[in-house]
Amino acid sequence: MDAKLYLITIDKNPAEAAEIAANVARKIENKETKLLEVVQSLGEPLTDEDRTIRAKAIAYLGAVLNGITGKSVTRQHVSVLAEFLCARLEDEVALKETSLALTALVKTGKVPKEDILKVAETLFKTVDMKKHPQGTRFVVLTLLDRLMADYRPVLKEMGDDFVTGFVSLVALEKDPRNLMIVFSLMRVILVEFDIERHVEALFDGVYCYFPITFRPPPDDPYQITTQQLKDRLRDCLTSTPLFAPHLFPPLIEKLDSTNENVKKDSLQTMVTAAKNFGPLVMRKYYGKIWDSVKYEVLNALPNESDEVMDEALRVVKELGSTLSYGLNGTVPEGSPLAIYVKTVSKECLDSLKEPQTKKAKSAAILLSTVASSSSSAYYGIVVNSVPALMTIYEGAEELVKQKSWMEVILHMLDAGLSVYGTWGDLNPAPVQENPLAKFSERLFEIYSQALMGGSKDDTSKRLIALKGLDKMARMRSFLSEADIGVVVVYLNEVILEENKEDVRKQALDNLLDFSKYRSNLLIEKTFPSLMAALPDEEPKELVVVPYPIILEALAKLSLDRAIFDVLITRLLNKLIVIVRNNAGEQYVQAILATILVVLEKKVAREDVDVPNYYGRLATSILTRTFIVLLSSEAASCFRVMHSNSVLSVTARILNILIRSLSSEEQSLALKELWKLFVSGEPSQVRSAVAGGFRPFQGESASELDSSIIIFAAIFAGLRREVEIPQHKHALPDFFKANVELARSSATSEVRQAHLVITSVLVNKYASISGQVSEVVDGLITGLKSPNQSLETAENNIRLLFWIGKGLVTKGDKSVVKLLPRLVELLNSQQFGSVARRGFAVLFGDNEFINQSNHAVLSRLAKQKAFALSVPEIVEGFKSAQADLKSNYLVALSAILRSVPSEVILPELPELFPLLLQSLDLDEDADVKKATIGTLYVTITESPGAAKEHMKSLITRLLKAASEVSTNPPRVRASALRCLKTFPSVIGNDDVRPYKSLVVRSLVPVLDDPKRAVRKEAVTCRAKWIAIDEPED
Amino acid sequence: MAEMDNANPTVLAASDLPTRKPLQKRAKASQLGIFASIPRVSPVRDPFTVTPGQLYESDTSDSEEDFELDAEGDNGVEEIDSQEIYDLIAPISDPEHPLSLGELAVVNLPHIYITPGNPISTVLVEITPTITHCSLATVIGLGVRVRLEQALPPRYRVDVRIREGTHSTGDQVNKQLADKERVAAACENESLMSLLRKMLEGCK
Repeated sequence: MDAKLYLITIDKNPAEAAEIAANVARKIENKETKLLEVVQSLGEPLTDEDRTIRAKAIAYLGAVLNGITGKSVTRQHVSVLAEFLCARLEDEVALKETSLALTALVKTGKVPKEDILKVAETLFKTVDMKKHPQGTRFVVLTLLDRLMADYRPVLKEMGDDFVTGFVSLVALEKDPRNLMIVFSLMRVILVEFDIERHVEALFDGVYCYFPITFRPPPDDPYQITTQQLKDRLRDCLTSTPLFAPHLFPPLIEKLDSTNENVKKDSLQTMVTAAKNFGPLVMRKYYGKIWDSVKYEVLNALPNESDEVMDEALRVVKELGSTLSYGLNGTVPEGSPLAIYVKTVSKECLDSLKEPQTKKAKSAAILLSTVASSSSSAYYGIVVNSVPALMTIYEGAEELVKQKSWMEVILHMLDAGLSVYGTWGDLNPAPVQENPLAKFSERLFEIYSQALMGGSKDDTSKRLIALKGLDKMARMRSFLSEADIGVVVVYLNEVILEENKEDVRKQALDNLLDFSKYRSNLLIEKTFPSLMAALPDEEPKELVVVPYPIILEALAKLSLDRAIFDVLITRLLNKLIVIVRNNAGEQYVQAILATILVVLEKKVAREDVDVPNYYGRLATSILTRTFIVLLSSEAASCFRVMHSNSVLSVTARILNILIRSLSSEEQSLALKELWKLFVSGEPSQVRSAVAGGFRPFQGESASELDSSIIIFAAIFAGLRREVEIPQHKHALPDFFKANVELARSSATSEVRQAHLVITSVLVNKYASISGQVSEVVDGLITGLKSPNQSLETAENNIRLLFWIGKGLVTKGDKSVVKLLPRLVELLNSQQFGSVARRGFAVLFGDNEFINQSNHAVLSRLAKQKAFALSVPEIVEGFKSAQADLKSNYLVALSAILRSVPSEVILPELPELFPLLLQSLDLDEDADVKKATIGTLYVTITESPGAAKEHMKSLITRLLKAASEVSTNPPRVRASALRCLKTFPSVIGNDDVRPYKSLVVRSLVPVLDDPKRAVRKEAVTCRAKWIAIDEPED
Repeated sequence: MAEMDNANPTVLAASDLPTRKPLQKRAKASQLGIFASIPRVSPVRDPFTVTPGQLYESDTSDSEEDFELDAEGDNGVEEIDSQEIYDLIAPISDPEHPLSLGELAVVNLPHIYITPGNPISTVLVEITPTITHCSLATVIGLGVRVRLEQALPPRYRVDVRIREGTHSTGDQVNKQLADKERVAAACENESLMSLLRKMLEGCK
């Protein structure tokens, strides 16, 4: 019944048919019916004349079998069914269904051994794969795969019959998905079966696929990649050493191919083969392989990529390590390895006699690659080549030769480093003495001489020397401790002498390496000599090594804790010395900036010890800053600490330190700082200090006013939950005080500090939102009154934008009303030119109002503000009077600079006309440059938008590039840079109509008075010249 | 691949090739080293009060722009000099090796001569083939010539010659390179042009 239903349903509704079969399977599982009964119920259709009915009937059987487990069927039933299905294998039309059914049957695990043998035999005897489509072949292969997985011993017993049967069954398979199965079956046969009598047939059956040239179609449903096929094929080819005599000759031959991929494939196969076949087999082939592979390195063709060479190097390296198997650092006389290293050394040395040639460089790489393959190979290569290399050096008189020779040795040192390891390596070095150490004395001498003696102008030679000494110092069992110390001393000297920048940089990088593993050497040798070179007073004349260079070196080397501790102590002491000697603000700033730079780097690499330095630094630096309050003669030189440049560094140091603290630590710190800056009580810093400094009460000593910026930096770094000390200034009062000071302060530095504090208050403390909107309303109303002085109005606009910054950052809903108001200001004859600058405040990044300062951030804050203001700006621009239009453009370019391009792109069609118009403005070069910058980004991100405006864009850019009188060089260069991207970004077909215009118009620009502009013009023009003519 | 003329030439290190001395201002900036990363301005700078000239320079140094203008300001004139010519032709690739004409010392700074004139100035470049029988000397000369004609303003006349005594048939090559019609004919030759394009690809 079920069977009939299945046969009827299968064509109309496969899912329902599957359900029917599954139901029957469940019944068998529950012992409600028997498997044989199901077969019998099928009856006639199984042998029906109509082949489609036969196939469907067997499909039904397969579907039922798929749903049952071994538990519910008996061995006999399974056997009967197996024999039946085996017989059906001869039925070509139902091969797919029969195979599926057999696979399901095999899965039950109940098929007797004899039947398995029969299935395999029948498959090999009767199935002719050529006649079937790939889908059917896939099913047959899946059946074989199943047999191989579950009944491997049985198949092995078939012996020769299985191997030959399999080879002829799968011959000529081409489908990638099927090949994946064939290859994996093949590999099992090659590894586990007795194949000695069939090596040739098997090899031919596999090698015929090499090299794989298959390219998957773009919509390949099976997702099989070329690489997967290559990997499986390579596994087959290299799975048995019996293949070796058949495999290597054709692989070597393939190296003559001009196809890079074929070469790479052959080389990769050689590597795996060498690894798998082992030393006993490879001793027969290494010579021939070396003979051909070396050419890939020595004679690399100019148009060949490095990939082929890299693969070739892997081959020679693999040969080295395979032949070294079990030798443990020795090279027995007459062993294959001994012959290999001798051959390699001899042939490379031939090329190395003239070390300055191109071939010599390749030979050096070959030599060091083989040497790095094992400790034995290293020993062999060193013994066989280094003595001769040393002779070559002693005979080399020309400088070029000596230099190139030193580069060759760098490669040998690299091999030594990879075999013997460097400091910090965990695995032990080889027990044998480093054979290169025999030459260490002379090598050390040569490189030292090249670095410290002779002409200091030969940069490349000194760079090579630095690299060589570094490798020597780092290599284990090479230099003595004393010599390593000498290297450090050299490096100190190089840093402290007048020098080319890259030499100094290399020396510093080398020292940096020491700072990780030999910090003691740095503290003992480097610090004293660098600190001693720092002058005690502001240098009056030009010195050989200016202090910034020394400080930079110190900063770079001091990231690790022990060293930074030493640095802080020494620099803070130095600070007192130089201030007492009346040093200027630059030197003082530089000393503090050194500490700041280290702290910034530590933050960037997420060091956890940054908070520790608050205690170490804050009080010391603040004490030195406020010591002037003592107003004694001795203290007056400390005024320099209050210059704006020094204060800006001090503020940043304290900002970094405070924001790293926890809330509790911040609360404690704030209590002390509040005393110092706000309430005027005695504090750690101020206990011994007299004199009035109360910046929030308008009774400060004027010269100290600017130091309020330190407080702003500290305040900005507080976490939201830190409470403000509730003395006289409760939060609303503190806010109002700041608002007043932000509008009335005498100097711009003080005003800025209060604006920042105000902005932070608005952003972090929701409890004052009532006061905030009161202030905002008051300011906007004030701006409408005609009798406000320009200065007051300016101060109010400024305040408005800074409050806006706090609101925009946290995505406050009040900005919906505020932003259009701010845009309206652009249309004012009076304030427009002030207000337009405010948009840089609103949208720009601020050092103190951001995530690391614990600001309240809203996701998409900028996007929202963009959506609220840009349409208004576009509208305002259209209706504005001519002389006010530039206000809108300035505001717009400030916004576009700070908003991610994916936000801008949808608005681009609206914005493009504005951008183009701003290129026509001659008054403001910076707007123009910003606009070109925006165009550059938008063109690369969205070439489509540019296409519509191509002509006006190109003509305007050409104008900006060529009109020297109205466009400063920066604008001309950026216009050219923008124009340069057109061909590659927009596409040759769309830009071709303008080719001759651009190429012609750029001719005069080739004669621009500025070199940098000419350079851009040349590249730009070359890009346009390279646009090919259309093929017709 | 045909046999190469010179399969194993001497190669100069890239860091040894002549370069323009950094401008005064540049040198100073690099002396500042890491301190250059510390803005000279107050951390709470005010976009309202900056002068228009610094509108956008105050916050970040334009790092993507690797050029800086000289001390003479926006209106000074920098003449085209031999280093500039060298910079134009040194990166041209050799047709035989993946190396540049500069690295192979085919073009050398001292062998570039500029004769200023009014209205026409002359640039003479003498090239040194890597070996005296180099069959590609003409192609290299042509490459140099094409590059300069594309990159120099029309008031410069370009002259490319083989340096005396460095090539067995130098005179013959010079004649070919100086012959306007032959140069023009060569530029019509498609396979030659595609070789030239490849050589000029390295010029960035």
